Amino acid sequence: MATEPVEHELEGGSATRSADGVAELEAESVPAIDRPNGLRRLWSWLWPKLAALALFIAAWQVVVWSGWRPDYVLPGPVPVFQRLAEDLSRSDFYVGVAVTLRRALVGYAIAIVIGSVVGLLVARVPIVRKAVGHAILGLQSMPSIAWLPLAILLFQQTEGAVLLVVILGASPAVATGLLAGVDQVPPLLVRVGHVMGARGLRLYRYVILPAALPGYVGGLKQGWAFAWRSLMAAEIINIIANQPSIGQQLQFAHDFADAEQLLALMIVIFFIGVVVDLAFGFADRAIRRRRGLLD
Amino acid sequence: MSERAVAVERLIKAFPHGEKPLVALQDVTLELQQGEFVCVVGASGSGKSTLLNVLAGLETASGGRFDVRGRVALMFQEAALFPWLTASQNVELALELRGVQGGKERRRIAHDLLERVHLLGFERKRPHELSGGMKQRVALARALAQDADVLLMDEPFGAVDAITRDLLHEELIRLWRASSLTILFVTHNAREAVRLGDRVLVFTSRPGRVAQEFKIDLPRPRSLDSPELAVVAGRITERLKQEMRPDGH
Repeated sequence: MATEPVEHELEGGSATRSADGVAELEAESVPAIDRPNGLRRLWSWLWPKLAALALFIAAWQVVVWSGWRPDYVLPGPVPVFQRLAEDLSRSDFYVGVAVTLRRALVGYAIAIVIGSVVGLLVARVPIVRKAVGHAILGLQSMPSIAWLPLAILLFQQTEGAVLLVVILGASPAVATGLLAGVDQVPPLLVRVGHVMGARGLRLYRYVILPAALPGYVGGLKQGWAFAWRSLMAAEIINIIANQPSIGQQLQFAHDFADAEQLLALMIVIFFIGVVVDLAFGFADRAIRRRRGLLD
Repeated sequence: MSERAVAVERLIKAFPHGEKPLVALQDVTLELQQGEFVCVVGASGSGKSTLLNVLAGLETASGGRFDVRGRVALMFQEAALFPWLTASQNVELALELRGVQGGKERRRIAHDLLERVHLLGFERKRPHELSGGMKQRVALARALAQDADVLLMDEPFGAVDAITRDLLHEELIRLWRASSLTILFVTHNAREAVRLGDRVLVFTSRPGRVAQEFKIDLPRPRSLDSPELAVVAGRITERLKQEMRPDGH
């Protein structure tokens, strides 16, 4: 029961706040729905995921036991997780994670800027839409790793080549998301903005961009997925000296036939991707709930 | 004689539509004195909304002249509140766009306006947490926040239930009488028009034109259920039916 007050605090915006407000609320507004308490909700959210994970690990172990491939090619979960724990206790492991995350964040940030500017231009200027609207969609379906050979020619084996691939991978998704968001703004809201005296940039600032936010967040989320994917591909292929990135370590693990390390690194890559995706999922749901687009 | 607030003279609005343009408004002429409450009744598609859109500057006229004194606010059938803002913030945004400086001052005025439409205690609710009638109250407060001289209302209570509508009528009349607001109110409901208006203009369909004007001399406050009101509304409905018959007579 200790969690209950916390729950009410979280829901303060929508739930009834005080007893005297209740009667008034029930008269006309939508009644507040009873929600299960926080711990329960966390558990009902968590247990299917844990169950799936357990099933996956069990299947993995069964395959290993079946002797389909020798241990040094396909190690079981126990040695892999031991290796992972070992890696996580080494400080130089975090140097590699930091290199990769830095590249991801820098590349993603630049992609957001470029994608947002391009998306806005396409949304706002009809001739730009006619000219490059389809090209952006085409670019989005192009595997960004196809840019890497060119990127290496242009930037040699430097971080610039890696970042270029990340930016080209992520920015079309960001632009597309923003464009979709702007296109789906209800015309009635734009008219209301007009009547209230918002024109030009002010109309964008106060009406169109806030209204387009859900679509934009969707684009940011997809952009992140593309950025992370492109980064891993680029890091595996484009090895840079003295930069022990995750992708590079993955490639080295392969070169030294160190299957335990390889699988441990894959778990790290998966984990980072899932955590970021979860953060986007929470942001997305929070925005939709605030606007009544979600129960 | 008081001052003229709205003057419309031989206003024409045509939309491109295949070979022949679609004429929504044909030589519409009308006048509103300052502080007057005028209702326009007409069938759906009779160009009533187009008239308001032109007066509000959302669409350009194809011909004729119109003149609106002072600021204009427009209310739609849907409340069209911004779903990412609370009730209070929706009103505050109108104040900000009008040029009211200072967040504290805007919050104070928004509080007063929401009080005037009987929504105290709901300032921090988001639109999806409010009922249809409450949303229209916020929309009304938002329209008042624009400090308009002329309020254009496009079937604003068409989507709320009868009892809520009756309450909203009362409040609208109360707010109107306490101000110098000039109101042009569009509806397809003759009884609503008679309940609210000093005058009722009957609109023809395709193209829209003022067919007849009824002066409503019933004393206020008026009740929707009064027999006198029903008689006048009946005459207007009869006139509307004439307009809607294919032969026009």
